[in-house]
Amino acid sequence: MKRVVVTGLGFVSSLGLDAKTTWAGMLEGRSGIRPLRHFATPREAIQIAAEVDLPEDAPPTRHTSRCERLAMLALEEALRQAGLDLDSGDPRRRGVFHASTAAGMPVAEAYILARQAGERGKATEPLYQHCSIITDRVAERIQAMGPRSTVMNACSSSLTTIAQAWERLAIGELDFAVAGGADVLCHTTFGGFSSLKAMDPNPCRPFSVDRAGLNLGEGAVQLVLEPLDLAQARGAEILGEVVGYGASSDAHHPTAPHPEGIGAARAMDMALQVGRLHAEEVDLISAHGTATPANDGVECLAIHRVLGSAARGVSVTSSKSQFGHTLGAAGALATAVALLALRDQVVSPTLRLDQPDPACDMDCTPLIPRERKLRAALVNAFAFGGNNMCLALRRWE
Amino acid sequence: MKPECVITGMGLVLPCGTGIEAASASWRSQQPCFRQLPPELGSGLGAICDVSTAGIIPPILNRRLDRVSRFAWVATHHALLDADLDPTQIRDRIGLAVGSVTGGIEASEQFLRPYLAKGPAGASPMIFPNSVAVAISGHISTAFGLRGCSTTQLAREACFFAALDQAMRWLRLGMADVMVVIGTDGLSPLFGELLQRSRLSARHGLPEVGSRRGLLPGEGAQAFILETRDRAETRRARIRASIRGLTSCAPATPDPKARGLALAEAASALTPIPPDAWIAGSSGHPILDEVECALRSRHPRWPQPRFPKTLWGEFCGSGGQLLAAAAVDLAPSVLITAPASLGAQFATAMEKP
Repeated sequence: MKRVVVTGLGFVSSLGLDAKTTWAGMLEGRSGIRPLRHFATPREAIQIAAEVDLPEDAPPTRHTSRCERLAMLALEEALRQAGLDLDSGDPRRRGVFHASTAAGMPVAEAYILARQAGERGKATEPLYQHCSIITDRVAERIQAMGPRSTVMNACSSSLTTIAQAWERLAIGELDFAVAGGADVLCHTTFGGFSSLKAMDPNPCRPFSVDRAGLNLGEGAVQLVLEPLDLAQARGAEILGEVVGYGASSDAHHPTAPHPEGIGAARAMDMALQVGRLHAEEVDLISAHGTATPANDGVECLAIHRVLGSAARGVSVTSSKSQFGHTLGAAGALATAVALLALRDQVVSPTLRLDQPDPACDMDCTPLIPRERKLRAALVNAFAFGGNNMCLALRRWE
Repeated sequence: MKPECVITGMGLVLPCGTGIEAASASWRSQQPCFRQLPPELGSGLGAICDVSTAGIIPPILNRRLDRVSRFAWVATHHALLDADLDPTQIRDRIGLAVGSVTGGIEASEQFLRPYLAKGPAGASPMIFPNSVAVAISGHISTAFGLRGCSTTQLAREACFFAALDQAMRWLRLGMADVMVVIGTDGLSPLFGELLQRSRLSARHGLPEVGSRRGLLPGEGAQAFILETRDRAETRRARIRASIRGLTSCAPATPDPKARGLALAEAASALTPIPPDAWIAGSSGHPILDEVECALRSRHPRWPQPRFPKTLWGEFCGSGGQLLAAAAVDLAPSVLITAPASLGAQFATAMEKP
């Protein structure tokens, strides 16, 4: 198996349109969760989310959704950082792995609204704005003719895309791959999570004793991944190493996690095994940490189950406190946060964690960033349907 | 050498009926299954599945399922029986890979129409979780206790093959011992309306490859139990077929001719000698037909292709119906091509004992 490294990172979030601004904002303790400014849902009681402020000079165009704009913005940053020569090499050895849950939904919603208003509506748009269109757009941009994968695993989707890219690179099928996810707000998810009473009307408080639910968010992360030998041969700057992943299903409930975190623990355990990591080497967990009453306690239980006594020394952080829950993009955002933490040896804070839940008895990095030695990290993403993913990363030294 | 992947069980829910016998009879007769859609599923012609869930899905759960999940559940039930496999014995090592174009659409429509009309008062927390395609794998993994790795893949007309590709990788990498691979699709008024108004559906007559008349939608689910040959032989499982190879290509251009030639090149690598039969993915959709027309021109010595989608409809399992047809076809070696209007396309070589 080849070693696989990340050489490009594009990060578009509610804190900024690039990785540098976003990461600086996180370390300054800023939150991207604010009153709604772009997405209008006046009948909902909850009126906050973590929206991305796209430049006003680039309004949405026909056949280009907001989600695609986020994804392509992140892609350009990742490509700039990776410095790849896209005009040379075999396009069949380039892969694209992308995820989104709501990519085409705003268009479908607009169509239904138009029909309900007695208008004709644009019927071709919802079919065209299929979630896989962004995968195709990314492939077009990097002139890729190799494998393309669009993953629809809801909140664990983009972590799955990175795992799939790692798998193909590790067995030598590809020269490089772009993997990531993008997601935006839409009526389906906003109304859906609201109907489930899963949303906090105030900015969310992961791992807090009084946590009351999640906030929704928007964002996009794209990673350029390469085999180590090729990255070194072309002198690329290496951000971190992907060493493996684990996946499992709860087989328990359509929306609720297994109360003992068994599925989540199996995914984390598998990630350690595949990544050949010892529990003691894991210094950071970029958690799923949604701030729902059910998730956070179960996730902590799973971490304890897998790391055992080593859990006492691990730093846990939830970037949902900055970006809200970006659904299909969440795993990729959490991965970006972990990569930047490993690079800079600093853990970004979990905001609004004034009163930690005794059930989450770990260092959940409350309120302020923490500088410390970070050797390896796990990134968690758990989804509807009990779909669990965990990615294992190592610091590049 | 990559471990060989074999099919040890099949569960087929098709517009021609449920089960392998129904599929075999339909494939032999080559009679199309299209009929007038009932209003709750849309308008015009389509290939509908009338599936019995009695004794398979508890009624209280059945009411909460959307069509895609219901079909997938029944197909998985039959596939596990066919494979003589008790999933509870190895539940952590059984994975699930699902391909679906229409997963979530029926529920999204059911959720959105009242929500957009009435606001939060119209939102149903029972329907919302089914609005994401991953709900299918959630229902299946819970129903059968499958606790291994799981993914739901989207790849336009070839979603099933994207799922099959991932399933074979997980088996070969040792991430799972057994994979359940499912292609599933369900009709809904919104989807049918979008196809019709986009002029993708045939307005007159049945779909005919090369006619440019358009496709007709179908629904159904096909579940396949996949294992490595070694494992299947060790447990003395009946091997229905072997997947000798699967390849994908994604030309940068949307030009159908170029897409056809790329698929031809990919398929050539799989079958250096002509196969006994060729199951093709053309459906009356002009782009797909043109892709496979270009493919045929490149391989004049291949047998005449046969088109399951002109019998059972487009989607109808997101391409799973192609593998089903290949499995019930009497030819010992079958090439399956799964073109797509954009993005990844697949070719698969199957051999039967």
